[in-house]
Amino acid sequence: MTLHRTDQEIEITRAEAAFNPAQDQDLGLYGKELDAMTIVDVDVHVDDTLIQMMNHMEGHYKKRLEAILQADFRGEPGNSLRNMIAHIGWLGSSYDKPPRAKLATKTELMERMDKGIIDYSILFPSELLPIAYLPDPKWAAALATAYNSYMVEAYSNLPGVKIALVVAPHLPELAAKEIAKYAGNKDVVSVCIPDVGVNPPIGNQQYWAMYEAAQHYNLPISFHGIEALVHDNYPLRVSRFPTLMQVHSMGFPFTSMLQVMSVVCEGVPVRFPKLKFCVLEAGLTWIPFIMYRLDTAYRQYRTELPALEAKPSDYIREWYWGTHELEALPKRGDLAKLIDLYQGEDTTMWASDWPHLERDLIAGFMRCDMNDTLRAKVLGKNAQKFFGLEDR
Amino acid sequence: MTTPTSEQLTISTEPVNTEKGKITLSTVEDFPPGDRRQVKVGAAIIAVFNINGEYRAIYGRCPHQFALLSQGRLQGTVICNEQTNWETEWAYEGEILTCPGHAMEFHVKTGEAIGYGFKVRTYKVVVEDGMVKLIL
Repeated sequence: MTLHRTDQEIEITRAEAAFNPAQDQDLGLYGKELDAMTIVDVDVHVDDTLIQMMNHMEGHYKKRLEAILQADFRGEPGNSLRNMIAHIGWLGSSYDKPPRAKLATKTELMERMDKGIIDYSILFPSELLPIAYLPDPKWAAALATAYNSYMVEAYSNLPGVKIALVVAPHLPELAAKEIAKYAGNKDVVSVCIPDVGVNPPIGNQQYWAMYEAAQHYNLPISFHGIEALVHDNYPLRVSRFPTLMQVHSMGFPFTSMLQVMSVVCEGVPVRFPKLKFCVLEAGLTWIPFIMYRLDTAYRQYRTELPALEAKPSDYIREWYWGTHELEALPKRGDLAKLIDLYQGEDTTMWASDWPHLERDLIAGFMRCDMNDTLRAKVLGKNAQKFFGLEDR
Repeated sequence: MTTPTSEQLTISTEPVNTEKGKITLSTVEDFPPGDRRQVKVGAAIIAVFNINGEYRAIYGRCPHQFALLSQGRLQGTVICNEQTNWETEWAYEGEILTCPGHAMEFHVKTGEAIGYGFKVRTYKVVVEDGMVKLIL
């Protein structure tokens, strides 16, 4: 780049080191181009730490939550269920390098929306992502109920803000009631099943009550993982890897592959044909692998799956996928090639994971080469279809 | 352009002494150790640091997802190589610029992206007549 021209405007500003992750510095880079489209960020996280749920708990579970919040943790993991369960084994391994994990307040969320680039934010849980791992089913369900109550009270009726309910898969009948309770809320657009630690796998018939309810109320299912658990967990056993990098990299996609396989091979799409599914925060590169790997095995083992009316990839092709965490593909055109490989032009949805540590800035997606039609679909149109969102 | 921080101070938005590709940034007194500047030249952005009296400048956007490196924290990092006898050691204290986006690390003296095998561009900064000047 030539910088020797003397007619260029020069702007010198005093700068400071940021102690929070950079947020949305890139939106202005693509503002004009993005203005013309409806942009849906399908994976956004706000402050849902346990203390927010206190006023939404009742009886002895409120006492239990009080006990947790009184625990004297210094610094991380704080009173964070997520950090306590998921991250504590690798605490300090990043040597306090910024950016640190961050939770957005409602004000910060609305400031981001007010920039006018993001038209819709779909809110997903942070704290309850390891909920399926909790060994006490009723406690897990109580937390999910409190989360839903808090989120619906705090984040309904905000322009462009939509909510995914959380259900605890331990008690599917309770989960179905939770779905029914909020199904009439226009701002509730999905049912999130945190899929790490779910045992038996999430396609098992014991969970079908929540699928039946979700289909009945026309709410799509979103699977959202979490990268790491310090305990040996199902369906993966990643806890013995010494670095969080290894656990993070493989935890999300391998969990997702196993759960997608479970749902499809148990015949859930056959029994609930109108139910839509998506997978968030697991990247994309593994999708063709699981589709075509299963197709190969299906030829030999089809008699084990007599309920299926088509090969596995025909069902998986109907699933939707969040782009986060965008894998570091070597060429700018590779993402479009990948999407073509898993036939995801109509099912791939841009997701930032804002404001979490590993969030994708929109520039990371915009620098990928693809035609305008595909870009518009990924940035918004596909998500509008999945979540049932009007143009904004 | 997105502002680097809410506390930013705009010093100049006018073309400043671009003779021979030099941009006058500040007096030495106004650019003490620990201070930093973000310089926007046309569409390009450069981050300039005073590290213990040494001025260093590096291309100002992370090649990953374009976060502003002028906001990065300067720290050390861990290294493990033949020189350390393959033991992990803390090194380059205060010289490693960590991207505020996703924590990619750059050695601010050389532009080396630590662990990636490439460099981002660095620029010379000189002091002439008590003025700090960036050479493009």
